[in-house]
Amino acid sequence: MKSLKRTRDITPLPSRNFKITVDDQPVDACEGETVLSVLLAANYARVMENDRNVASGAYCGMGVCHCCQVKINAKHKQRACQTLVEPQMSVETLTNRFKEEGIKHD
Amino acid sequence: MTSQTHDKVVIVGGGPAGTAAAAELARHGLKSVIIDEAPKLGGVIYRGPLRQTDSLPHLDDNLKRAMTALQTRYQAHSDSIEVKTQTRVLGPEGSNQLLLSDNSGLSRQPYGHLILATGCHERSVPFPGWQLPGVMLLGGVQLQLKSGLVRPGQRMALVGTGPLLPLVACQLHKAGVDVVGVYEASPFAKLAKEAVALLNKPKLTLSGMSMMSYLKKHKIPFKYGWGIVSAQGKEQLNSIQVAPYDSQWRAQRDLAQQVDVDAIGVGYGFVARTQLAMLLGLDHHYSKVSGYVPVLDEWHQSQNHEAFVVGDSNGLLGADAAICEGQLAALRLAWQCGKITESQLSARSTKVKNKLARIKKFRFGFDRFSDRQSGLLSLAQPETVVCRCEQVRREQLDKAIAQGVKDITSLKMRTRIGMGDCQGKTCSSYALDYLHQAGLTENIGVIKPRFPLDPIPFTLME
Ligand code: FES
Repeated sequence: MKSLKRTRDITPLPSRNFKITVDDQPVDACEGETVLSVLLAANYARVMENDRNVASGAYCGMGVCHCCQVKINAKHKQRACQTLVEPQMSVETLTNRFKEEGIKHD
Repeated sequence: MTSQTHDKVVIVGGGPAGTAAAAELARHGLKSVIIDEAPKLGGVIYRGPLRQTDSLPHLDDNLKRAMTALQTRYQAHSDSIEVKTQTRVLGPEGSNQLLLSDNSGLSRQPYGHLILATGCHERSVPFPGWQLPGVMLLGGVQLQLKSGLVRPGQRMALVGTGPLLPLVACQLHKAGVDVVGVYEASPFAKLAKEAVALLNKPKLTLSGMSMMSYLKKHKIPFKYGWGIVSAQGKEQLNSIQVAPYDSQWRAQRDLAQQVDVDAIGVGYGFVARTQLAMLLGLDHHYSKVSGYVPVLDEWHQSQNHEAFVVGDSNGLLGADAAICEGQLAALRLAWQCGKITESQLSARSTKVKNKLARIKKFRFGFDRFSDRQSGLLSLAQPETVVCRCEQVRREQLDKAIAQGVKDITSLKMRTRIGMGDCQGKTCSSYALDYLHQAGLTENIGVIKPRFPLDPIPFTLME
């Protein structure tokens, strides 16, 4: 399977790192990083699709705006900027319950 | 659920203010608990890298020194300070308790005394295209540089006002980002007028000047009196329009220029984070610079509730002032607990108060320079979304106001602004400014913070 490349790191990743998957693609990550940093390092700008079907990227980066919510380990609405990566974590971008379950706004 | 004894001082927020308060309390024999959402103390400004790294090539020595100083301040007193990181305060529970959530679940934190040091967040200014992925707030950009060690874009511009613009521009450039332009809304002449105020902190002023010369040396355009007009892109950002601003910060659209970028940082100011103070029932008043801030005495203590509020959460003065305020509150508390005498209190606090006064003079100079003008409000076009969570457009605000809405709660009920996941933190400063501009200044109110302040995952309730 094709791995995602990290092209945006300012300093090299420490040698002790692990993999997480983003949209089913493996990518390197290391202890202490947020999910958002991994996404940005791998060149992701589009992160979330909100309940009103509008895509957004991380905006505040500090947990305030809720514009970076992704599905992490099968749980929806986790803020990428506030969640630290863990080995084997699975992250899915641009998805939400409204979309997955076909719920419509009136 | 766990409970602990409540002789301790509980400090919400482990940034410069909270950490300084904890260290000062420890010096006088008082134990404290610091609660912080982040994995590490330091606050957004001094947290530093979250992952292991051997060097920080993109950060200047002043910042590195300040980050170390904060860690040292904590380390020297770590025996007396309990730190709960990655822990969120959901709100007050009963009297003298806070409800917390962390990875392992919910817990209660009783307190004998409370110091709030919850900091601030950035003010959002909606403009066409601001929802595009790639548009970030300036502090968000900086957090990725400082804590994430990641470049948020490859070709970037910065728009906004204030001293963070040149600072972040330098950091981005040193991190290897192609910085194609920095646009400061206020004209240079206005900065020159503040020379006397800026001399209250000569070192900071000098470092600002050296940043400007760094930008010049690397041919990074820095334009005073310019700002954002709009952002363009299909799925994500690929260009912005910038234009000269007039004295009211109205964009002169006929002179707009296009700049190709893949990300931008937008920074038109901050808002004090006072949701917890409001839930606790502290009295607040409105300030144009900081938003709603608690009413406090000279020691930063609220009269209608004995909590102290320090740092940017009681008005935006930055990290140096936050440290002073944390110390002042701690000294006062030490005196109230009988740990120091009145004369010790006055001896030590006089020094801190003088320092704070100098910082304020400097800071007020910048506030006057960066005082946001009404033109910013008209960047949003009728069809521009002003509340991201609920996708409320400006024309819906116009309609509601035309129909007689006079306060923010009615505006919320009529349009759904502030009803989404962020609970109005992103849209409410614009909405308040917009109501003010419509001539509504009396009893506008605030978007009331709700309990829990942060969503409680269902998994924690099982
Ligand atoms: S980017 Fe704003 S909450 Fe994550």
